[in-house]
Amino acid sequence: MPLHDLRLAALSIRRTPALTALMVGAIAAGIGAAVVTITLYHARAGHPIGWKEDRLYAVTLDARSMDPELTQYSRHPEYPPFQLTYRDAQALYRSQIPERAVRMFKAMRVVDPGRSGLQPFSVIARMTSADFFQMFDVPFLYGSGWSRAADDAPEPVVVLGKHLNDKVFGGANSVGRFITLSGRQYRVIGVTDSWMPQPKFYDLNNGAFDLPEDLYLPFAWGTTLQLFPSGNFNCLSKNVQITTYHDILTTECAWLQYWVELPTRAQRQRFQEFVDNYVTDQKRYGRFPRPLNNRIVNVTHWLAMNDVVGDESRMEVALALMFLGVCVLNTLGLMLAKFLGAAPITGLRRALGATRADIVRQHLTEVIVVGLLGGLAGLALAWPGLQIIRILTYTPGIDDNPARLALAQALVHIDFPMLILALAISLMTGTLAGLYPAWRIGRLAPAAFLKAQ
Amino acid sequence: MRKVDLEIRPLLSALWRNRTGPLLVAVQVAIALAVLVNVAYVVQQRLATARQPTGIDLKDTFWILSQGYAPDYSQATTVKADLTYLNAVPGVVAAAISHNLPQTYSETDLPFATTPNPGAASVEALVYMMSERGIETLGLKLIAGRAPLAEAVAPPASDFTQAFSRWAPEVVITEALARSLFPKGDALGNTLYAQMINRPAKIVGIVERMQGMPAPERYADLMERVVFVPGIPPGPVALYLVRTQPGRRAAVMAKVEQEFPTLQPGRFIMKMEPFDKTAAVTRNGLRATAVILGVVGLLVTVVTAIGIFGLAAFQVTTRTKQIGTRRAIGARRGHILRYFLLENWLITTAGVATGCILALVVGVKLSLMFQAPRLPLYDLVAGTLALWILGLCAVLLPARRATRISPAVATRTV
Repeated sequence: MPLHDLRLAALSIRRTPALTALMVGAIAAGIGAAVVTITLYHARAGHPIGWKEDRLYAVTLDARSMDPELTQYSRHPEYPPFQLTYRDAQALYRSQIPERAVRMFKAMRVVDPGRSGLQPFSVIARMTSADFFQMFDVPFLYGSGWSRAADDAPEPVVVLGKHLNDKVFGGANSVGRFITLSGRQYRVIGVTDSWMPQPKFYDLNNGAFDLPEDLYLPFAWGTTLQLFPSGNFNCLSKNVQITTYHDILTTECAWLQYWVELPTRAQRQRFQEFVDNYVTDQKRYGRFPRPLNNRIVNVTHWLAMNDVVGDESRMEVALALMFLGVCVLNTLGLMLAKFLGAAPITGLRRALGATRADIVRQHLTEVIVVGLLGGLAGLALAWPGLQIIRILTYTPGIDDNPARLALAQALVHIDFPMLILALAISLMTGTLAGLYPAWRIGRLAPAAFLKAQ
Repeated sequence: MRKVDLEIRPLLSALWRNRTGPLLVAVQVAIALAVLVNVAYVVQQRLATARQPTGIDLKDTFWILSQGYAPDYSQATTVKADLTYLNAVPGVVAAAISHNLPQTYSETDLPFATTPNPGAASVEALVYMMSERGIETLGLKLIAGRAPLAEAVAPPASDFTQAFSRWAPEVVITEALARSLFPKGDALGNTLYAQMINRPAKIVGIVERMQGMPAPERYADLMERVVFVPGIPPGPVALYLVRTQPGRRAAVMAKVEQEFPTLQPGRFIMKMEPFDKTAAVTRNGLRATAVILGVVGLLVTVVTAIGIFGLAAFQVTTRTKQIGTRRAIGARRGHILRYFLLENWLITTAGVATGCILALVVGVKLSLMFQAPRLPLYDLVAGTLALWILGLCAVLLPARRATRISPAVATRTV
């Protein structure tokens, strides 16, 4: 019977090719727009490390002064600053409660390949703690990260990203070899594999959609070399006095990312208490004038707090879905007109013994076929649409990292779940548009149409 | 007028007897209006943000990013030699070094006040540390005072904390900052206090406009408050801005690209780019939103037109006999045409009326989302007019077909 329905649908579609094309076109436009905007949304709303959802937490403390100017331009004045001051990061790092903890920032360094024919070039380095690699499940090609002891010494060791290792060592296992960074030699102890968490949740400075750093150095190199963060550096009080590098470490200026891994709820609870106690204690020295507002949040919450998805993306999806609604109504109207126009034939079928259910099913089949055709056409439209958006939004980096293209592509990629969603939407569109016309045509009394013939 | 009155009752009763189709079209028109008006509003805003005047001569300017790496690299000698070279290249109007590249999302800002009191009310402003010809290089319009003197330009400090804490004896500010700190208009010659670094400087010049980066309306004022502090930024990075005579940029860039890298030892050129390209890339996101929503707006218009057209075509087909009968009993072609136009106009108007309410609801939601001004009523009026005209155009073809139905049809059975 369904096969019969399909044949009837094909016949009906062939009878009115122009009208069908209009309907398919309308649905295609609606679904195309929906798929484009949902794909962009989906890429931004990705969860880069979902398997650690209830273990990984970003830590923020509200060390802001009462100055009203501080919150004048902030989107969420209720949230603490998204980074920590150096002294707070150091204080929290002393806690033994978390299984792992990192405090970190990024800074520019220059690589001197030391080979003729290869110019020196700039790279972004992450000054981070030993736990970084295991905490964020960074894949390694060769070697491994460093120990906690290497952090504070600091030992002249480095972990290279894959791209940098390809560039300097031709992709060979470089563990044990040396690399010159801004005039200082470091021993390579590890090389990471391609790794591109999107959004780059662990540090949202300079945009949530960026590549990981080119290399990683033990945290204390930052202060040893007196490096400035190349991310945000926000002073939390107007009365901060900065005249030397030392002031950066001691004043109320936030520039460090802080993450902890707390495997159990009890540990999370204890760490929250530890942080609150620390802040309460600091209040005695005149710091933290605001009410207690220390947030230890998981990745999902963290990304939401930082508006990674963005209103822009939400608004685009909302408007595209409204447009899809217009397309559904449009198809509904055209379908109704078409079915009523062909009512005499339906009347004949009824008279020849087709039941109401048969008629409804026959017409519903036709609308669903039209819906699916529209869905496929919509997907076909969405693909070039997304490519155009990729070209429009592509921001070339200062580096020559080929992963940058992969990153741009990842943001407009229609993945398998997206494909399923698109087909589901087109099925739903077809059904929504067809339900009423099919029901309506099923209720028509056949006699009225037979008489006129 | 009387004739129209006479026509309206049978028209309404015909609409009422077959209300599903018209209702669908009316709802379609309503949603379409809500989408169209809000899309137009958001696109306008994004484009307005992207097109905010920068005050900068972008099309004749390019920048060079140089990075020192050698152990004996000296920022002071390198920058001095580089600026001397760049300013002497034929076709160059002016060249300067800056610690940040305007029109990108990297910025430095500090709170500024009119008194040295650390708790004084302050205004945030962007800071650019530039060499003496910075204002000329950016092509900014000096409306009062003068550019900083070469003597005021401090040699490079060892790092940025040192550089900023040293500050400078004199600064140039934008009019936007002058207005917000010195509403009486006495900014020139007055003292500007930088909080956090706690340094005073005399305001020696005021430029008409300079926009740090494009920003939505609620930040737009901040982006136009700028302080130019004379100084050579610390190394080992050096960002040079070069403005050429109109039309000579490509030639100058080619020459510089060839000669510049080897001019000084111990450094390399990271990047060189026309300034307008940089500014365009910064506006990528704004443009992408405008394009996506623009396409959605266009499609919603087309699809709505198809909907109106489809309904009218269907009405004409199913009413062939009635139209023939009307013609047979004396209705003119004009009457038939008017009937369909009027019917469609009523449907569109019902849709538009509902759509206005819907558009306002969506608009309020969006303005809350973006903390942007409310949807202007002007946009609603424009959207209403657009959909009316669209409706009339879409119905014209089927209505013309209706007028061509022969009165003889009335005598046939089908």
